[in-house]
Amino acid sequence: MSEIPGTHVFTGELSQQGYRLNRLSMTLTKSENREAFLADEAGYMERLGLTEDERNMVQRRDWGAIIRSGGNIYLTLKIAATVGGNLLQMGAQMRCESLETFMASRPGPKAPVRRD
Amino acid sequence: MARIVGGIGTSHAPSIAHAYDRGHQNEPVWKPLFDGFVPAKEWLKAIAPDLMIVIYNDHLNRFFFDAYPTFALGVAESFPGADEGWGKRDLPDLAGDRAFAWHVARSLIEDEFDLTVCQELAIDHGILSILPLLWDTPWPAPILPLAVNVIQHPLPTARRCYRLGDALKRAVESYPEDRRIVVVGTGGLSHQLHGERFGFLNPEWDNRFLDLVEREPLALTKYTHHEYMELGGAESVEMIMWLTMRAALGSNVERVYRHYYAPLLTGYGLLVLEPEH
Repeated sequence: MSEIPGTHVFTGELSQQGYRLNRLSMTLTKSENREAFLADEAGYMERLGLTEDERNMVQRRDWGAIIRSGGNIYLTLKIAATVGGNLLQMGAQMRCESLETFMASRPGPKAPVRRD
Repeated sequence: MARIVGGIGTSHAPSIAHAYDRGHQNEPVWKPLFDGFVPAKEWLKAIAPDLMIVIYNDHLNRFFFDAYPTFALGVAESFPGADEGWGKRDLPDLAGDRAFAWHVARSLIEDEFDLTVCQELAIDHGILSILPLLWDTPWPAPILPLAVNVIQHPLPTARRCYRLGDALKRAVESYPEDRRIVVVGTGGLSHQLHGERFGFLNPEWDNRFLDLVEREPLALTKYTHHEYMELGGAESVEMIMWLTMRAALGSNVERVYRHYYAPLLTGYGLLVLEPEH
């Protein structure tokens, strides 16, 4: 079976590798946790047992690194939602493009470039 | 006797929920999508089912990887909307029908589909992104949610999802009370939401899938997950949930309506079918 370029199939192995990152994201489905995370990101992640590498990639908002480390995209999106980003921004970054360039590549009618 | 009177295949996407909640229905990029749902909504209003069975996937809002079910059925009295990270949406809870739901649980498990049975089930955009496009609130009928793992591999095969639909048809038709039921399968069509292949779309494949799901659904059970992901993007593997809906309608169907639009990240497909009598 050939690999699909630019794709990280979310296997059980990847899910295990990303478990701490994903557990962090899952806590962000509660508003009180989002507030606690925003108030002290580093402390919040340390309490959840994330490694230094994992904490750094979250603080850098390095979505590609999080995905490669086993972050699931639907969970990682909750981090972006909490800090005020969106899926289109995440995607443009993962493609190493500006949001404007990515939006210009879309086939449909011109859509507003939004950052919320 | 309960019977299935129609089926809907539809994409779901958080972007649809955002556009709906923020009132972007008339923006040029969104208008064709929202307008495209109107004939399906009118059909649903006219057919007025007593209950809707919805096959969908949860996006890590109710279930987490601490214990992740392959198939999960909601038997609760009511189903609240989930907070997906942006706060809970302003939509009413959905009602369930517990007697019917437990009947389906028993029937499917006797049919060797070993479900996780959920007495609490918060519902995310897998159902709620498109539901307000199909139904006005207050929601006119109860639902029976059936969640499928299409996220953490290994996933159930396309064939298994099709056979689940066969079993669902038997479950419905063995319920002694009269119920007219619409079955909805959500997800897809082509999209990939991560990695350098983010934004991948394949309208040609999406339209072939719409042809096949209507006329030749068994052909779609022969595709592997890898083939679905290669043809439609990694997250498009959700399309296998349409096969459950399709199998539940029986072998021959009549198409009522079909719509397709792929403006941004997702090939939005919509198909309304009725079983041939």
